[in-house]
Amino acid sequence: MSTADGGRFGRLQNLDEGTRRVGAGSAVTIVATVAAFLLFPAATIYPLLGFLAVVAYGWWRYQEATAKVVMALMTASTVVILGLITLYLLWQSVPVLRQMGIGLLTHVGATMWSPNDGVFSLVPMMWGTFLTTIIAMCVAGPLGIAGALFTSEMAPRWAREIIKPAIEVLAGIPSIVYGFLGFVIVNDYMMRELSLPIYGSLFGAGVVIGLMALPTIVSVAEDALAAVPDEMKDGSVALGATSWQTITAVTLPSAFSGVSAAIILGVGRALGETMAVTVMLAHTQTLPDPLYDVFGPNGQETLTSLIASQYGIASGDHMSALFAAGVVLFITVLTLSIGSQLVEARMREKLGGGA
Amino acid sequence: MNTDASRNDLVKRGNSTLGVAAVLLAAGALLGALLGALALFEAFAVTDAVAGLSIARWFGVLLAGLGVALLGVGATSRAGLVRSEPDRTAGPVAGVAFSLVGLVIGGLLASQTLGFGTLWPIGALIVGAVALLLTVYPRGDLGATLPSGLLSLFTGIVVATGVIAPGWSWSPIPGSFTLPGDIAVPLLAIVVGFLVAWMAARAYGGFGTQGKQASAYLLVSASAAGMLALLVVLVSYIVVRGWAPMTEGVKWGLFWANWTYFYVPPIHRYVVIDGPVLWFHWPFVMNGHALLNDVNGIMPAIVGTVWLVLGAIVFAVPLGVGAAVFLTEYAGQSRFTQLVEVSTNGLWSTPSIVYGLFGWAFLVPRLGNGFSILSGQLVLGFMLLPLVIITSREALTSVPNAYRDASAALGVGKWETIKSVVLPAAMPGVTTGIILGIGRIAGETAPILLVAAGSPFPSDAPNVLTSFQLSATPPFVTNDALLQATSALPYQLYAVITAGVNKNAGLAWGTALVLLLVVLSFYAIGIASRIYFRKRLEA
Repeated sequence: MSTADGGRFGRLQNLDEGTRRVGAGSAVTIVATVAAFLLFPAATIYPLLGFLAVVAYGWWRYQEATAKVVMALMTASTVVILGLITLYLLWQSVPVLRQMGIGLLTHVGATMWSPNDGVFSLVPMMWGTFLTTIIAMCVAGPLGIAGALFTSEMAPRWAREIIKPAIEVLAGIPSIVYGFLGFVIVNDYMMRELSLPIYGSLFGAGVVIGLMALPTIVSVAEDALAAVPDEMKDGSVALGATSWQTITAVTLPSAFSGVSAAIILGVGRALGETMAVTVMLAHTQTLPDPLYDVFGPNGQETLTSLIASQYGIASGDHMSALFAAGVVLFITVLTLSIGSQLVEARMREKLGGGA
Repeated sequence: MNTDASRNDLVKRGNSTLGVAAVLLAAGALLGALLGALALFEAFAVTDAVAGLSIARWFGVLLAGLGVALLGVGATSRAGLVRSEPDRTAGPVAGVAFSLVGLVIGGLLASQTLGFGTLWPIGALIVGAVALLLTVYPRGDLGATLPSGLLSLFTGIVVATGVIAPGWSWSPIPGSFTLPGDIAVPLLAIVVGFLVAWMAARAYGGFGTQGKQASAYLLVSASAAGMLALLVVLVSYIVVRGWAPMTEGVKWGLFWANWTYFYVPPIHRYVVIDGPVLWFHWPFVMNGHALLNDVNGIMPAIVGTVWLVLGAIVFAVPLGVGAAVFLTEYAGQSRFTQLVEVSTNGLWSTPSIVYGLFGWAFLVPRLGNGFSILSGQLVLGFMLLPLVIITSREALTSVPNAYRDASAALGVGKWETIKSVVLPAAMPGVTTGIILGIGRIAGETAPILLVAAGSPFPSDAPNVLTSFQLSATPPFVTNDALLQATSALPYQLYAVITAGVNKNAGLAWGTALVLLLVVLSFYAIGIASRIYFRKRLEA
């Protein structure tokens, strides 16, 4: 076995015999399993049994190598799953894109969503998502940062040790529970007091989503504030600054990336929130008139509630249009996720790896 | 020893007449805001009369009084009658806040009262600019009190004289909402009350740096307290409303009954052994839906959730932990690791409805061609997977390298080291992550709705355990129950909402409470164990 010929082939030859045998055997069988599942689901069991046999033999003969190979396959499958979801969504949304063209994302007219006439424009839903997200962040942004500041900088130690876990537990309240409360209490209240023309409003849904995103924002922003080294704050206080001056001049600026990551995360949560809006909105696929009317009967649909309310009656281009809505959501949230990771990486760099 | 020396003039506290007046003012303003919130939530009606005047008018009187008092405090400070250390200006934050308030008031006055039509921005800009000037231009004490005092006085007069009264209403957009007076008055009380309290806190600290500190602390603490109170109220409201339907018809008792009996041949007799038996019947969680039930329950939904979550764990935990071990112990930092990191974070933040859509179009046709528990388990597993990877990686990287080195120095192989040293040390972190993940997926509705949801009011639970069958033809093991649709706790709640809450109010609140208890107990256990293990690690 020589490394002289180098390259990938050389590296493969460098692996010990067990890794090579088990790796080759399990790779072939697992690929066959996936292929069988995709093409002939009934026959999936044979290659799967083959894979299990290879692994069992490897475990008995070369345990070390088998463990490594199996774990590498597990890692690869994670990437494959994400890839599969992405590609499948994209592939399924091609038909409607072919029919509507870019109008899918831009078409504005009297009819914007009518499966019977084959008109699919996501504009009203994107606008609805935008409005509910804005309202949600108006509620959750200031309150969330205030909550984080209070927990991290102002509350006494004993209070912090109660509030922090409590907020985290509250972040776990399922969205359908918020949707239920919103439907029973918020919608009912607004209908009664504000004489709304229809049961449900973008405003009410936005407020409920904001409350839902609140614990997440508090908890992430609090982590960012707590990660600012005490030396920095102490230095400021030692120079005679009050604690509020220290917060505005030292703590908040140094934790700025982390706090904005919290907000971005909250926006992601608000965008992807499904059940509360599905339950609370009236499902009208039009644009509000005027555009900023968040109480009126028009425009009560978001990308998520569109999918959740129409999947049962969709086929053909209609189904493809729902996938397009999913793609828009997926790409937006993925962008936000990558953005917040970049922001957080910047923060870690800025604080010298201490975070 | 003079103990006063330690708390002498290094930091000036509000202790003078100014301080007392400011505390009273802030308390009055916060009381006004609190009463406004209570009126908004219909704790009392603003039309009720107290001492011959309707509560709405009393709000007006309170605001006008607060305004006059705040103006008075500012004037006495400016005239030098009380000790204070005002800054040169009230600062940009107050300036922005009050000019925004001015813009709104000016705009409303111009468009609604004076009828400027499309020229309303002129009115808005004029009042906004005046408010900005009044805040920023004078010395700190006047700048803080003048605009807020005038605002409070103005609002108070408008409300007290009945210009905005319970009978008043305003609908700015035709066909949209109508703002009635009995909502508008409490809203005004809340907003103006907070602004006055904010500026009163400045007066408490002598209008200077200390004043800004006091006012900021007041605002932040009030927001945080309000937020916490709201969340606590939400949860306790569900508990209060759901407790009665959830515990309806619970019966239990201790009986003396026979445990077992057997025949003893030599003496030709039965031997009967008696003992205490606890009998317990909780209809809401032990019944399904049936016509003849005394209490209709949600047992099928609970069992469905258990199977869905179990399946997701079986699928995601080995895969996720294995991937985490490979990434942390074998792969090192490389392009591949980065790709996996971005993928897992992406998967983690992907909205659940997107998973549901994928499962609906990809898994459902391939797995029995119908909604099934199996599809639900896989989709929930996809959702659990990234969280397991992320938390397991964190737990594995926090295992000190000294453990690995010590094991290697003893001549133990890499895999043996991982198996017997690294994984046990990381176990608490991994378990905590899994528990938190379970809490999240147990409450997920959207994916279940799209891939697994069956009858909205089922009478029986899926019988997964006894449905396994072996056969000679592929795929050798079958389980019909796994390929059938099911209910689940979050889906049950959704089903009740879509079926009409009024008809099934008890069922809805009870289901919401059970769901909340299940999910929050997973979170509570996960977080408590994390705190416990962290403390043990630090100790």
